[in-house]
Formats: sequence, C-alpha cells, structure tokens
Amino acid sequence: MRYVVGYTATERGRDALFLACAIARSQGASLDLVIVDPEESPYTAVYPPERTYASLLAKQLRDWLDEALALVPEDIEARGHIRTADSDARGLIEAAEAFGAGLIVVGAGSNGLFKRFTVGSVANALLHAAGVPVALAPRGYSRMEPLTRITCAVGERRGAEDVLEVACDSAARRGLPLRLLSLLALDSSGGAALDEARLHVADRVRRAEELTKGKSSITGVVAHGRTIENAVDDLEFDDGEVLIIGSSRLARSNQLFLGTTASKVLRSLPVPMVVVPRNYSRAAHGQAPQSGDTQ
Amino acid sequence: MKTRTRAQGGAAASGLSSKGLKGGQVGLIGAVVIGISCIAPAYTLTSGLGPTISEVGVQLPAIFLVGFIPMILVALGYRELNNAMPDSGTSFTWATRAFGPWVGWMGGWGLIAATIIVLSNLAAVAVDFFYLMLAQVTGNDSLADLTLNLPLNIATTLVFVAIACWISYRGVETTKTVQYVLVAFQLVVLTWFSVAAFAHVAGGTAFDATQISWDWFNPFAVESFSAFAAGVSLSIFVYWGWDVTLTMNEETRDPDRTPGRAATATVFVIVLIYMMIALAVISFAGVGDGELGAGNPDNQESIFAVLATPVMGPFAILMSLSILSSSAASLQSTFVSPARTLLAMGHYRALPRRFGRISPAHKSPGYATVAAAVAAAGFYVITRLLSENALWDTITALGLMICFYYGITALACVWYFRREAFASARSFLLKFLAPALGGVILFIMFIKTAFDSMDPDYGSGSSVGGVGLVFVLGMGVIVLGAVLMLIMYRANPGFFRGETLRTGDSVSAAQPESAPLV
Repeated sequence: MRYVVGYTATERGRDALFLACAIARSQGASLDLVIVDPEESPYTAVYPPERTYASLLAKQLRDWLDEALALVPEDIEARGHIRTADSDARGLIEAAEAFGAGLIVVGAGSNGLFKRFTVGSVANALLHAAGVPVALAPRGYSRMEPLTRITCAVGERRGAEDVLEVACDSAARRGLPLRLLSLLALDSSGGAALDEARLHVADRVRRAEELTKGKSSITGVVAHGRTIENAVDDLEFDDGEVLIIGSSRLARSNQLFLGTTASKVLRSLPVPMVVVPRNYSRAAHGQAPQSGDTQ
Repeated sequence: MKTRTRAQGGAAASGLSSKGLKGGQVGLIGAVVIGISCIAPAYTLTSGLGPTISEVGVQLPAIFLVGFIPMILVALGYRELNNAMPDSGTSFTWATRAFGPWVGWMGGWGLIAATIIVLSNLAAVAVDFFYLMLAQVTGNDSLADLTLNLPLNIATTLVFVAIACWISYRGVETTKTVQYVLVAFQLVVLTWFSVAAFAHVAGGTAFDATQISWDWFNPFAVESFSAFAAGVSLSIFVYWGWDVTLTMNEETRDPDRTPGRAATATVFVIVLIYMMIALAVISFAGVGDGELGAGNPDNQESIFAVLATPVMGPFAILMSLSILSSSAASLQSTFVSPARTLLAMGHYRALPRRFGRISPAHKSPGYATVAAAVAAAGFYVITRLLSENALWDTITALGLMICFYYGITALACVWYFRREAFASARSFLLKFLAPALGGVILFIMFIKTAFDSMDPDYGSGSSVGGVGLVFVLGMGVIVLGAVLMLIMYRANPGFFRGETLRTGDSVSAAQPESAPLV
C-alpha cells in the first residue's frame, strides 16, 4: 500500500512525515512524499518579466525533498515527488489518484496559538475534497514508532459501517488492539441515550470481532460529557494511538466532508485523526489484496 | 527495504522554464488582455497625463507617439535576451552576464527601485480613489478630502501596501475571469470618458473647448529639448508593461506567433486609447491653469479625479471604480517582480542570504516580499513628507528609474550578443541596432532629465536644500544603491568576484563548458 505525504519544509510538514512513518510501520506501507509546486496562472503576469524564480524554486523544492527523504527511517520505503498543481490540496489529491494511494497524510496545524488542533488551510481543503482517507498529524507530532492502538468512532448514523471496516482492516493487519468509541454530549449522565449508546457500541464490538476474525482484541467505550469536546478530554489515549472517524453524511459518496462532531473532536484530540470518506472501500479504490502482508 | 528516490515528474524533465507555468493556454486575446492589464491604462493615464501635459502641453499626443519608439527598440532586445537565457530573465542576471557583477548589481537595483516607486505610487492612487469613491457612493463630498489628511493618507496607504504584500506572500493569483473583467471595464470606462468629453465639446458645455490641431501631433513643436526629454521619459512610464507580451512563450498556444501578434494588437489598442484620452482631455479642459484646466498644477497629480465628474456626471463613480480596481490589481501583481529579483540577488549572494529565502508553506519569496513592501512604504512616507505633490514627483522619478534600468538592459543585450551582432541582417537589427539605439536614447533622456531636475522648480516644484525633489529622489535612490553595493562588496565579495554568476556572452554560453546558471 502507498501513502501520500503532503510535505512542506515546515513544522507541519515534519508532523505529517513522522505520522506517516508511524502508520506505514504498523501497516507495512510505503511512502510517497509530495511537495506541491504552485502552478502560476499566466493571467497573473509578472512584470517586469522575471524568469529566474522558477528555476531557483525548483532547486529549493528538490533540496527540501531530499532533506525530507533523509528523515525517513531506513526500514520504510519512500519516494519523493514534486507535483505541479494550483493548490496544495489539489496536488495531493491528484498524487493520491495517480499512485493509487490508500491514505493522504498532512500536518493539521494552523498558526492558531491556543488550539492543539486547529485545522490549517491545506488540511481543511483536503477534508472537503479528498476521495481517500486523510490522516491529520497534530502539531508537534514526533513519534515514528508503530501504532499501539486504534480507536474508531462509531456513530449511530448509516455510513459508520465503512469506517468500521477500515478500522478493523487496519487493526487486524498487525493485530493492534481496537477500541470502539461512541461520543455523546449530554447534560447529565444516565438517561436513555446513554443506554442506547452502550447497546450500540456492544453491537459494533460484535461486528468488529467478526470482521477482525480474532486477530485484534476489541473493546468498546461510551464517552460522554457536557460537550463533545469535554467527552474527548476525559478519554485516555495512548501515545501511539490514532482515532479513525467517518466523514459527514453530508459528504457526497466517496468524498470527505468533516462533520460537526468530527470537527469538535478534532479541536480537543491529542492524537492523530484519520478521516474516512463516506462509502469508502478499499476494494473500490483498486487496492492490491493485502494477504501475505500480515506477519 | 531501503529505497530513497526522488521521482522526476514530467514537468521537471521538460526544462526548468516550463515549471510551474500552465503551458499553452493563452490565445491572442488572452495575451492582449495580459498586456493591457500590465499597462493598467486607467491608472497610468490618471498619474501620467498631468505631469506630461505640464512638460509638453498640447503636444501630448505627439510625445505619446514618440515615447513608444525607445520602448519598442529596447523591447526587441529584451526578447532576444529572453530567448537566449530563458531561465534567467531579469535585468539583474542579464546585465551581470553581459557586463559583470557591478553593472549587473546596479541594473538589478534600478529595476527594484523602479518597481518600488511604482508600488508606492499605485498604493497612493488607490487610496485617493478609494476615498473619492466613498464620497461618490455616500454623496458626502467631504469624504474625498480625507485623502488630504496627511496622517490618515499615510496610514491608509500603508494598509493598502500591507494587504497587497500579504496577498502576494500567500501566492494568491489573479484568475483569467478577473483579469478579463478588469481590463474590459477599464477600456469601456476610458472610452465612455472620451465620448462624453467630446460630447461636451460639441455641445458647447466643455470647460475650455480647444480646437484639435495637427500641431498637437508634431513632436518638433515641443518648445524645448528639456521638455521633450522629460515628456519621453514620462511616456516610457505610460507604456511600461507593454513588453510583457513579447516575453511570453510557452504559456501561449502558439509561441511562434502569438507573442508578436499580441504585442502589436496591444500597442494598437493602447495607442488608440491614449490618443482618444489625450485629445479628449485637452479638447475638453485645455491646457490652461483654470479650475479644470489640464495645465493647472493642482489637477496634474491625478487628472481623472478632477475631470471625471464634470465629464461623466454621476457615472464618474465608474471611473473611480475602474482606477481603484486596476491600481489595486497592479499593486498586488507588481510585488512579484521586485521580490523575485531581490530573491535572485540573495541567491547569488549579491544581497544577504536571507533575501534568497523561499517561504516553505507558500513557495513565495518570503523575506524579499516583505522587504519590498517595507521599502515601498518607506519610500511613500518619505516622499509624502517631503513633497506637496508626492504622486507627481514619484512619477517623474519613476520615469528616470525606468530609463536607467531599461537603458542598462538594452546595452547589456548589445554587449552580450556582440560576437554574433553581424552574423546576419536579422541579428544586426534585433541584437545590435535596435537595442543600441533604444539604450542610447534612454540614457540621453535619463541624463538630460536628471540634469534638468536639479532645478528646484522642476516637476511639481518641490525641492530639498535648493535642489529639485525629483533629482533628490532619482539620484538619491541610485546613490543609495551604489552605497549598498559597496557595503555588500565589503561584507561578502564572492558575487563581485564572479563566484556565483559568471560573465559571458552569447557565443561562450553556447559552448558546453560554460557554467550552469543555477
């Protein structure tokens, strides 16, 4: 499997690179580091005419890419690409299509001062348009060791099945523990909603056990708080954990669109988040069979 | 598994010059639109018409026609340099390759100075018309006078510069549609203005109806050589931008024919518009110094700000909108060139290394863009504080700077191609005769105008210590460049010893052992 890493020679780019290495190691994937070279519209004519910049920029991009490739540990296969596109998000989506990639990894951070996890413009654009799952590395992510656990947010809405399948598939590949999570915003604990959520999670756990065929240990948890943000704050996360969540039901089929719950989760989440497009299935995206990859 | 590869994309393999530019999508009309947008005729006319009339009076049409001659001569040389060194197209690298680091440095400095000056002028014009438009929208005329409030004017101008700098830093681009609309709007409004002015003349309601005479087209009727030289350097400014079409290559659908045809079509449109407006303004307002007269120094800073309302009535707001939008668009796009030239100079160590930094997130010249904005803001504040007619004086100083760097570039062309100048009739004409003539004419205009501008009464009549402000600004900028160049030489002489960018000519560059440029 190939992952596209949206790289920039910034903290955000390194966050993405580290996360990509961590996921690639636990999934046996190879990395395609992509730097997007912004396409110039000829209608923004440069006057007085100037043609040095394109070659200086090209050289700088190659240097940056080489630095990034040197950061990738020896055991991970990595290739570097400079792709021309009119925006970073477009360039990454096109790269993912061209390489048949199963994941796009980007640094999520913006320049917001206070939020752990305010979404930068590139990540935001990807979350609205990508056709493959997008992994968002939180600001300052610096871990390269394989993942230790996967948490999957299971909503009650239809479409959650796709997310569950992706999570089970990923967890089963290396026998990672899988935790199924239902998030509730409630005024007071108890109540019918909570019971219903527990029943739902129990049902999802059974389904996940079927899907993983005993390769992963499955647990279920219902987190609640006054707000979704509070519920997330009270949860414990491993350092090597990622949260997988589905995109909004407003999204068109096979495209991402971050729902309101996911946006709220993102704001208080201490670990990386992988957003899966609605109706996404790996088979539909021409992934090679993963058999023999599990060891 | 150990694999570290850097894949070569298709675009990277096909040559650096094509990187990042969408190839082959601009047709003839598109190229003409780009050419006109670079000239920004509505802005150019409002700033350039008054100062030119003050020099040459009714011979305005003549001087606009004559002023195009050095422009086209130099542009032909530009095109040859651009074709010979497609990846290094800027006055700095060209002049360095031809004449070596010292002249190259000053050529780069001249280009940067000219663009910095025009940036400050663009911002100021945008601010004037911003307040004028506010007044026209609200019907409260006192709002237009806010631009005369010095602290408010300076503050607003700095905000405009900062916004344009930010947009340029973020790499936001003008789209095709926006550019077409802006250009079409300018042409429509300028035509409207001319027709309305002639209608007033015909209907007897013009301010100072003046009969058009063939003498207006006679450049020899200009009263003195000083006025002629000043007029020509100003009219270089009004055509500045036209030659962009000649340097377009792979972005056009037909690189062999589109640039030349577009340049011809652009100049046809522009000369037509300029003639129309020049005749309309003089026929309507005359060149006297009456209330609306084009000869009144109070009106010469920004001619349309004064004449649009009497000529177009309530539709004058369209003129304000057209000038505001075209100057704002130019303000943003004009940041790109000085920033990139500064970046190239930083890259080749002709300036401190930090100028060569590229913003990793936006892939734009980060430090250099901010430096250009600070310089433009600083230049505006100084001029505004020293001069009562800052716009007028900056335009005159700008004409000087353009003559300076264009002249250097033209002569760089002659020198670079010296060993093949007589190889064929074509290269004799395009690589030698045209740029040599153009360069010499520009330097004569430059020297004559610089000399005349020492007179404290020159231009708008502002002066510093008994010397004309235009001279102080123009020469001050050039001397400042020379001083900075010497400081750079002391601090980091590598560039000046030819370690980063080698001097050569077209014949040596064609030989394989010549050093790659990057």
